[in-house]
Amino acid sequence: MQPLAITAHTLTTAAGTGNAANAQALRAGTTGLTPCDLPSVHMDTFIGRVPGVEAIRLDGELAPFQCRNNQLAELGLRQDAFEAAVAAARERYGARRVAVLLGTSTSGIAATEAAYHRRDPDTGVLPPDYDYQHTQNMFSLADYVATRLGLAGPAMVVSTACSSSAKVFADARRMIAAGVCDAALVGGVDSLCGMTLYGFNALQLVAARPCTPLDRNRAGISIGEAAGFFLLEPADAGRSTPRLIGHGESSDAHHMSAPHPDGEGAARAIQEALRQAGRDPATVDYVLMHATATPANDRSEARALTRTLGGGARATGTKGITGHTLGAAGAVGVAQALASMAGGFVPATAGLGEPDPELGLDARDRSESRPVDCVLVNAFGFGGNNCALLLEGSG
Amino acid sequence: MATLAPIGLHAVGLLGPGLRDFAQARPALAGREPLIPEAVTIPPSTLLPANERRRTTQTIRLALKVAEEATEGGDRERMRSVFASSSGDMDIIDRICAALTEPEPMLSPTQFHNSVHNAAAGNWSIATANPAPATALSAFDATLAAGLLEAATLQLAEGGEVLLVAYDVPSMDSFREVRPVREPFAVALRLGPCAGARWQLGLDYTDDTPVTPCVSPELEALRQVNPAARVLPLLERLARDAAADVTLPAPLGRRLGIRLEPLARNPEPATPSHG
Repeated sequence: MQPLAITAHTLTTAAGTGNAANAQALRAGTTGLTPCDLPSVHMDTFIGRVPGVEAIRLDGELAPFQCRNNQLAELGLRQDAFEAAVAAARERYGARRVAVLLGTSTSGIAATEAAYHRRDPDTGVLPPDYDYQHTQNMFSLADYVATRLGLAGPAMVVSTACSSSAKVFADARRMIAAGVCDAALVGGVDSLCGMTLYGFNALQLVAARPCTPLDRNRAGISIGEAAGFFLLEPADAGRSTPRLIGHGESSDAHHMSAPHPDGEGAARAIQEALRQAGRDPATVDYVLMHATATPANDRSEARALTRTLGGGARATGTKGITGHTLGAAGAVGVAQALASMAGGFVPATAGLGEPDPELGLDARDRSESRPVDCVLVNAFGFGGNNCALLLEGSG
Repeated sequence: MATLAPIGLHAVGLLGPGLRDFAQARPALAGREPLIPEAVTIPPSTLLPANERRRTTQTIRLALKVAEEATEGGDRERMRSVFASSSGDMDIIDRICAALTEPEPMLSPTQFHNSVHNAAAGNWSIATANPAPATALSAFDATLAAGLLEAATLQLAEGGEVLLVAYDVPSMDSFREVRPVREPFAVALRLGPCAGARWQLGLDYTDDTPVTPCVSPELEALRQVNPAARVLPLLERLARDAAADVTLPAPLGRRLGIRLEPLARNPEPATPSHG
């Protein structure tokens, strides 16, 4: 495939607001997980809650968009001079030639949850100040970001559960190739809400302690929230920026909420990403795994890695730092991969006590300083929806 | 303005009030017979195993019905799919948000996994044992155009056939005012290479062109009450089997122009298939 240059990006998670704080937490393996203190959720678990989200006010024409998901999007957009980079792209290409392709799993549903608490007790009618279109509707996120940044290219929200914000990278590549846009703002935002915490709890997938991906005693997920944004443009011949060099997508066609036990679908996505990039598996420095820390997910993914990269692959799971940020997980993975390539280190698997020998991976509890040039990033979701992205450093 | 290379339209699936399938609906779409309004009944999927079928919702069944119709006789095990819905499973969202108002919320695990926007896509891949990539997207009232653009760019970049399914269920009572979707509606377009297709679609991502309304006032009323029904002006022209230009509303106030051209002679059956 024709590589895409990642010319600007920004990441906000519980581990840090902006790229520098996230890179530092990633290198040190510092967790952003804290005991669940959401007013609307009473559950014995740890969450990755981003500080300062509630203080963000959306004003003027953006006021109808006010909800936790768009507040988090706004907080993210303010970091790392990302706005300025988008403004320059808008100047360069024109507002109509920059696409806005974003992923989320639950959009602004927290606003609907809050509105249900205020329903008319007799009629069940929602309060008049509740605005469905600009909060809970899936498109709200892309609508908000495009309106906020003055972009008018092709726009949509991809919502394929936890692979959402990985798949938008593939969409951007296809849309630029088809000529409907020259550049794309991609990424994802997902925010804490009752639905996902109580929903994953109903599936008995939530850990009581901070999650421990790839650990022998891993006991489920910790849910987090995050905003990650990237500006993608056609890559020039020189390698002055990191690049997306391959993407692979697949379906398990197996089960709605359980992965294929042998990681068949995941393996197909990884193979396709490698094929597009024309990369030998041996040239992948490490894998930034989806690694949610449920016993079944990590086992399935490890088998997919063994099948595609061989046994003992160097691999990292970072959800002990950020929590599982669901629809934003792909964006978090890509931003972390960029940080590791820029900083020259393979990140730690935070919280790793004893690596699960059954997984057959080379996972470590400490970061390792060394040049990193090629990272595979995985994101897998409910419905057996898989996406793998291959990234290359700026050389 | 950005013009895409043409793609082929191979088959259509359809379900809406008075529109039981594309063959039955053709006379009404072509303006030769009146549209007879009738309540929509969604048949159960014939492809899902009984276990999975029991766990589906109205929303999933609505999407699967038109997907099955459009892929009849096709290579269901291999084609990529794009599921486009403005709002997803409103019934489940209603039940979950209601459950969350309880002092000790208890959610159903099945409801939760069906709450994801790609529930229909996941069920379709399971029903057809299809390992090809599937996606699920939304663009509010412009979801149909976003889905068509996504499916077209997929076809052009990756080749092969791409199934586009656009669907929305009516809003629950508490949402009747905040999101007035009044009728269930779903459409599936089986897209692919132009070779062997019945129609050719040339897409143009553009501005300022007026949105094409329906020819029929009854269909125009339906077009406005469900985001997936924005496809009706295109289906009216398909049913007439003549070249036409149709403009859909696209996200952020833009437009998606469609140049429709029949590729092969495609006559009406002498005896309509419905009774």
